Amino acid sequence: MKNRFIGTCIVAAVGAIALSGIVLAEEKPIVIGFAIAQSGWFAINDEGGIKAANLAIDELNAAGGILGRKIEAIYADTKSDRAQGAKAALEVLEKGADVVFVDLDYDMGAPAALEASKAGKISFSIGAEDVKMGAQGVGPLAFTSGPAAQLEGAAMAEWGYEKKGFKTAYILTDTLIEYNKSVCYGYEFAAKNLAGAKIVGRDTFKNGDPSIVSQVTRIKNLNPAPDVIMLCTFTPGGGAAVRQIRAAGIKTPIFASIAMDGNHWMDAVPNLSDFYYPVHGSIYGDDPRTAVNDVVKKYKAKYSAEPPFSHAFLGYIATTLYAKAVERANSTDTKKVVAALESPDGIPTIVGPYAFSHDLHIQDKFSFPIMSIQDGKHAVMDSWTTKTPFGIKELLRKGE
Amino acid sequence: MMMARRFSIAECLARNASPIVLCGAIALIVIGTALANNAALDRTVIEALIRIVYVVGLYIFVGNSGVISFGHTAFMAIGAYATAWQDCCRTTKPLLMPALPKVLLEATVPPPLATIVSGVVASLFAAVVGVAIIRLSGISASIATFAVLAIVNVIFSNWDSLTAGTSTLVGIPNYTDHWFALLWAVIAIFAAHFYQTSRFGLSLRVSREDEVAAKASGVSIFSQRLIAFVISAFFVGVSGALYAHFLGTISVDAFYIDITLLTLAMLVVGGMNSLSGAVVGVGAISLLIEVLRQSEHGFALGSLTVSAPHGTQEIGLGVAMLIMLIFRRNGIAGNQEIGWRLSRFLAPQLQRSSKVTEDY
Amino acid sequence: MMISALQILVDAISLGSLYALATLGVGLVFGVLRLANFAYGDFITVASYALIIPTAGATVEIVIGRWPWPFLVIAVAGVVVILSLASEYFVFRPLRTAKPAVLMVGSFALGYIIQNIIIVVYDGRPKAVGLWPELGEAIVLSGLRMPRLELLIIVVTLVLLGALVLFLKASPFGVQMRAASEDFRMARMLGVRANTVIGTSLVISGFLAAVVSLLFLAQVGVMSFNMGVPLMLFAFVATVIGGMGSLTGAVVGGYIVGFASILLQALLPEHLRTFRDAFVFVVVIVILVVRPQGLLVPRAARERV
Repeated sequence: MKNRFIGTCIVAAVGAIALSGIVLAEEKPIVIGFAIAQSGWFAINDEGGIKAANLAIDELNAAGGILGRKIEAIYADTKSDRAQGAKAALEVLEKGADVVFVDLDYDMGAPAALEASKAGKISFSIGAEDVKMGAQGVGPLAFTSGPAAQLEGAAMAEWGYEKKGFKTAYILTDTLIEYNKSVCYGYEFAAKNLAGAKIVGRDTFKNGDPSIVSQVTRIKNLNPAPDVIMLCTFTPGGGAAVRQIRAAGIKTPIFASIAMDGNHWMDAVPNLSDFYYPVHGSIYGDDPRTAVNDVVKKYKAKYSAEPPFSHAFLGYIATTLYAKAVERANSTDTKKVVAALESPDGIPTIVGPYAFSHDLHIQDKFSFPIMSIQDGKHAVMDSWTTKTPFGIKELLRKGE
Repeated sequence: MMMARRFSIAECLARNASPIVLCGAIALIVIGTALANNAALDRTVIEALIRIVYVVGLYIFVGNSGVISFGHTAFMAIGAYATAWQDCCRTTKPLLMPALPKVLLEATVPPPLATIVSGVVASLFAAVVGVAIIRLSGISASIATFAVLAIVNVIFSNWDSLTAGTSTLVGIPNYTDHWFALLWAVIAIFAAHFYQTSRFGLSLRVSREDEVAAKASGVSIFSQRLIAFVISAFFVGVSGALYAHFLGTISVDAFYIDITLLTLAMLVVGGMNSLSGAVVGVGAISLLIEVLRQSEHGFALGSLTVSAPHGTQEIGLGVAMLIMLIFRRNGIAGNQEIGWRLSRFLAPQLQRSSKVTEDY
Repeated sequence: MMISALQILVDAISLGSLYALATLGVGLVFGVLRLANFAYGDFITVASYALIIPTAGATVEIVIGRWPWPFLVIAVAGVVVILSLASEYFVFRPLRTAKPAVLMVGSFALGYIIQNIIIVVYDGRPKAVGLWPELGEAIVLSGLRMPRLELLIIVVTLVLLGALVLFLKASPFGVQMRAASEDFRMARMLGVRANTVIGTSLVISGFLAAVVSLLFLAQVGVMSFNMGVPLMLFAFVATVIGGMGSLTGAVVGGYIVGFASILLQALLPEHLRTFRDAFVFVVVIVILVVRPQGLLVPRAARERV
């Protein structure tokens, strides 16, 4: 009798301790370490993504967190400097980050991602569009929520061909950064698969050039004029280029990349028309997907301004991807989460399903809303899902 | 009284007091860092050591010849990329940089050897380029060196098959730890010291003070400058290799105007005319940057975190440098070498003073 | 094809004029006074940013940018002139007798401070001000296209060059300036109010920076925190190859750099075009090696022993 009683007490005691242990463990938050630019020239680019990521974290926490645990965000400033970026990653790792979120630009974020990899933790870029943010570059623990830059060019080539009947194109590339070259590479690669599509000429300029008068002359001399000019650049050079092209009286429709999103350069080209570019999602509230428009509403409510660029959505999506993967893996253990991310089931996000594989930690097909600017006003005009298949070689711009 | 020509330890120490003191101080800092076991501090110290190798290399040319070079970062770029060609990313190298010769595509050179080879490649490049531009004097030479940097920058950014262009290369082995960086800092400092106290260095310094008098004394300014240029390129190239092995990633835009201005500022603020100035300049500015960064990061005062607003570090750095320049025209070290008092004490019979003519 | 060659020439003159104008400002202070002001690019940037004021949101408020052009130019020039005077008082005067290298690094530091203040106040994103869009229209003469803005730049450059040369040659100020540049101490002993002279030169060069900035902004429509740096770099290079000490040389140097840029962009085969700037700098090195003192050298410049 006594033994049974003591035995029950012991079991109860052990059970209580075990239970309290579990309860305490449940309260330990999942820590996302943001090693991103909070100051310096690059800060404005990361800002939207970070704010949107925080929005996602708030929503997840309001719904009870992940695996019963709250998500906590900690920050370290890279100061727009690569070496400092590595230190920022070390800092958040030391503070107990389970995952490190890095800059939306591969070049800027790579050192931080490397440190995370060395520490055996997953690094997630909030929107890098370079496949090297993955096994082919930083390593097998690096992921990005961005589509490959080549897809942007491919989308414009395909959409222009199918929906606008554009067959001939002139390509103008800003050679300052890799991203621009990848976008135009994607355009050309996709055009190869389109019957009758032809690149009638190519030219280059460098962001910051005081004048592209030569490039403009060349375009003006084209006879017959191309159906469209594919411009792979970003501001300020991009705004300058469009201004000079339109000022020269060239009315040819212009295609651009997501980097030209945003209101901030509109004043340079008053009443701009016939300008089209893809976006991850519309920041103007007219996206064809309600989930995206909801995020815009919530972002506005929380931050009293709309997201500055559509890259903001990728920050939201990065959080979603990580959270869902942890849920599926039922743990924050790196190996299990990686396996969950790479699972062929894919993960649903506000823009659609995302899928990673063992070799590919970036999206190799994507659905882009197509933004058009008419009379200086932005509006979503259409939507397009890329069809051209891109292999690793093409994503490294080495395919021919 | 005639001096007996016998080897004397005191004399040896006295002759080399300056680099010994400098290296001793740096070594102490590194040992302290190693004991502290703080990863961020470690990285900061390694970065400073790499900069010491660069600025000492820069000093070997600029300090001794008086010609300001805006182009030395080109050697750092060459050193860094030469390293990448030798020991980066075994599996993706053939895909990213297909124009490399087969022997490089298949080999992975051990990092210490790769570092030396990178330095040699940079000095070979300097030799070729120097033959063309070293003849120039004063401001023309400076602009020509800038032109070299711009050319290297454009070529590396656009020769995609050789350098992967504007793409960031990942996968360089992380070989640079504080001991390896310390080793090269010590080598650089002693090399600079031996050079500047050698016949070559002294001839060049004479030409810095008065070109015409030097020529009249039989100094071939062209040869001496070229020698200094090549030696200095070796160390700056090595600093590029160290940097590549430190960060593990490199990209062309990291080797352009920003690092050029920073290193030049470190040299001038420290004192352009002395080796100690070069080292002290790096130390002072690196320390300043860290202190200012920490102030932005914030200190805990009780339950409050007090922190300076964003931008304090950069603006504070600029203001501090201006103040240092206004109040110490000849740099922190002036024109003197640290340790000359020590050397006078050890071996007073050495009348040779390392104090250089002050500019007025 | 004939039109095309002439058009290339016309394009080259247009870019050359922009560089020539920028070089004028640099050449006045650097070429004549031997004062390297590496913050000049940031003075140019400040001039454009003076057109707008920062607001809390993503867009900025275009304030001075909306004024009619005479007031706009005066206001912007005023801002840069005040900046120049402040730089003179706080940076250049205390460093006046220091070695050239110290002055150089001091001006870097100044430029670095200005750039980072702009980033903090306005943020790192480029801003657009569609300044004087009517100048973008081109005058077309028998197939040759010349935007009105380019014509304006040429005229402004030549007028300012003429005015400055006259000023330097014919006015007592000019003589004093050249004296101060040759031997500061001696000039002061001879009664030249050297600080005033140098201060005034910086003010003039500040005005020139404002003019360059506005015309550049009219061309590109978008400003960014380091927009003045490429212009400044080319201006320094052009000053040296044109000949230090000669204002006309500075303008010639600017045209050479502009011409080289445009000719190479127009004539290089496609796969070499991305290397355009490398070729431009090779041309610079060749010029320096062949004529180290620059193309147009004033008689007094060569060192005699």
